[in-house]
Amino acid sequence: MGRTVGIDLGTTNSLVAWWNPATGRPECIPGPRGATLCPSVVSLDADGTIVVGEPARRRLLTQPERTIYSVKRLMGRGIADVQEELKLFPFRVDPDSEHVIRVRLGERVFTPPEISAFILRELKSWAEKFFGEAVDRAVITVPAYFNDAQRQATRDAGRLAGLEVLRLVNEPTAAALAYGLHKKQRGLVAVYDLGGGTFDISVLKLISTGEGDIYQVLSTNGDTHLGGDDIDNAMLAAARGDLGAQRAATLDAHPEAVQELRKALVAAKHALSTDEKTAVRLALPGAAGGANYARGWTRVELERLLAPIVERTMGPVRQALADAHQKPQAMEEVVMVGGATRTPLVRRRVEEYFGRVPHTELNPDEVVALGAAVQADILESGVKNMLLLDVTPLSLGMETMGGVVAQIIPRNSTIPASAQDTFTTGVDNQTGIIVHVVQGERELASDCRSLARFTLRVPPMPAGMARIEVKFLIDASGILQVQARDLRSGEMQSVEVQPSYGLNDSEIERMLEESIEYAEQDFATRQVIEARNEAESILAATEKGMTGEAGRTLDAAERAKIEAGVAALRVAMGGEDYKLIRARIDELNQATANLAEAMMNQVLHATVEGKKLSEV
Amino acid sequence: MSTTETDATVTCWNCGAPAGEGHFCGKCGSIQKLPRGTDYFRFMGLPRKLWIDMGELETRFHQLSWKLHPDNFVKATTGERELSLERASQLNDAYRVLRDPVARVEYLLAIEGMRKEGTTKQQAPPELLEEVFELNESLDELRSARGGHQNGAETAALRKRLEEAAKGFEERLTDVDAQLMGAAKEWDATVDPGDAAAGRAALGKMNEILNRRSYIRNLVRGVTEELAQE
Repeated sequence: MGRTVGIDLGTTNSLVAWWNPATGRPECIPGPRGATLCPSVVSLDADGTIVVGEPARRRLLTQPERTIYSVKRLMGRGIADVQEELKLFPFRVDPDSEHVIRVRLGERVFTPPEISAFILRELKSWAEKFFGEAVDRAVITVPAYFNDAQRQATRDAGRLAGLEVLRLVNEPTAAALAYGLHKKQRGLVAVYDLGGGTFDISVLKLISTGEGDIYQVLSTNGDTHLGGDDIDNAMLAAARGDLGAQRAATLDAHPEAVQELRKALVAAKHALSTDEKTAVRLALPGAAGGANYARGWTRVELERLLAPIVERTMGPVRQALADAHQKPQAMEEVVMVGGATRTPLVRRRVEEYFGRVPHTELNPDEVVALGAAVQADILESGVKNMLLLDVTPLSLGMETMGGVVAQIIPRNSTIPASAQDTFTTGVDNQTGIIVHVVQGERELASDCRSLARFTLRVPPMPAGMARIEVKFLIDASGILQVQARDLRSGEMQSVEVQPSYGLNDSEIERMLEESIEYAEQDFATRQVIEARNEAESILAATEKGMTGEAGRTLDAAERAKIEAGVAALRVAMGGEDYKLIRARIDELNQATANLAEAMMNQVLHATVEGKKLSEV
Repeated sequence: MSTTETDATVTCWNCGAPAGEGHFCGKCGSIQKLPRGTDYFRFMGLPRKLWIDMGELETRFHQLSWKLHPDNFVKATTGERELSLERASQLNDAYRVLRDPVARVEYLLAIEGMRKEGTTKQQAPPELLEEVFELNESLDELRSARGGHQNGAETAALRKRLEEAAKGFEERLTDVDAQLMGAAKEWDATVDPGDAAAGRAALGKMNEILNRRSYIRNLVRGVTEELAQE
């Protein structure tokens, strides 16, 4: 039996963490280059290698049609649900996608769980390298507002990555766990979680009892189509407006240029959290020698774009407080989670609404993974002094005659939760009863989220005589299970549930077989891949330095030496000898020592001077 | 009525000792199968009375959560995991229902076989007939006003009348809830002496009060929705 970890599978970044018994704290596990964040980006190289994380992010610029980001937005959804997303994100979706979306990376097609599985596998390998042992179990976090299909897709991704998913934990709850541990917090806590693609608000009560601490969720609400990505897209729309219709069309014809622009805008967005103004400048692709796009951004302008997005979060916040029967001022603490909560406007609005300064001490990028690690340890070690009592975010219902929903389990019910109902036939000798299960708060089934359909088998008999009892159970991960029993015979029936949006068991089995080709690549191959990734990183930095101001400080001899080093490294990268690649990397590092120092000085200089608009 | 499954678990599945009433076997400590027909009161270890100390209920809920939650059974056998899932979900359902005073009454009526909803939901309680009639008239007026048959001032006055009528009905709800509490006390008084006849009378009363309550709430909701439509 291998080790257990906690994983935050995020829209923008993913992380893996563990409970360190030596320090008595959860800690994030770093990747090969020391960073704890793994960008949730996946790319397929021409030779069939799957690349994940930072190196994949670079490929967004060089081979965008073979690369995908924010795949979490497609998990557990059907093609009709993602029409808005398709307008704003470069997802190359197969038009044939029925109940599971299929996206194209280069010449291959993958489902969202398969792509998420690549990310999970990458994190798994980080952890295995860190421990020097196999890792085969995990607690994975999901947005609290994820519906059943989205949760199942996440669990399927875990399975495809070779991880037994012990539990899915809601992100705000995981964050509360990390904070509670950190601050010894008790009382009413609100968690405001604005990630890359999803927004969650949860209201919790933290209680100390004789046996330990209970984290009880009172209510949760959110929006799974709302996050930092929407801010990026608003800025992109503004840039397109600046360019005018013609130049925008030229831009759109070059996906890598769009990604360059997006990258620059994201950097500007981050900068504006600490600076009052910044600038974006970019060389555009195009016929007549290209042109430059430059635009200054002030924090005030950005906030004008942000305001409607932030306001959209307030609806779910009000609903969650109403469902918990609490006023905003009753919250003793407010915790901010997710990169987007670094934005000053978001913090001001939250402070204004709750009437207190929100907590931001824990790194908003890491806090969810840390909480997952705590829960993983609780489940693994059996040491129980913390208990999470979470809720289901959406009401579970059944479609009845006339398309009206009969509610089975109300929203915000503590999980596990169950309900029973007895069915009978309407027609003589009817041998099947079809049940359609939905999630949502609306009156009509057609306005709710279709979860699944299943058929109850009935022996032939007159209408109205059959008695089939169905038990609906929402487990601790928030996923629905169904059991059926014929009350007349007393026999249990196995119920085959057909998910409306998701993979069925046979599809997963098939994928597990296919995925063996991507599974544990042998040690040497892994080394080559890592060495190549590092080489790319240093080559990119070197090129940037050489073409910039710092490059001008070099004399001819140094330049020649660097260029030779670059050439030698490129040759080594083409081969399979990772030791040689590393040797060439070291040589290039030495050759560029002065250049690196000049670049550092330039950065300090620019920061002190302030930023200026360039001339077009 | 099913006969293939025993209504009460006779022995512990693990050690064979005679099963008691508790969640766990007295002898070996294993989690026990939930007997069919265990009601929420018995599950929480409470008498079948409508007055419940909320603090006590919450404490029991927390204590049982520590013992029954699936977190404790991650490494247990599949059978034990299923039993934990069953008991934990029963615990959460029981807490949710018993915590809410009205849901508690409805539940008691259901398990005593005394819950009968109003024969037609549209049937107004006799003492309210006249007011309901007036209210419906006002609602009709408001609907036709949307067709543009009234001027602004008249519509405003009409809306005010409706708002006041709704408030009046809401106040009645407070009376109804007080009546419910009274009938609940009557029921509780019959439990210890085991007075079945008086018990039935109290249940009948509560059933009727609940029907009246639902009627009024639907009325108020209908008016609020109509007024919100402007």
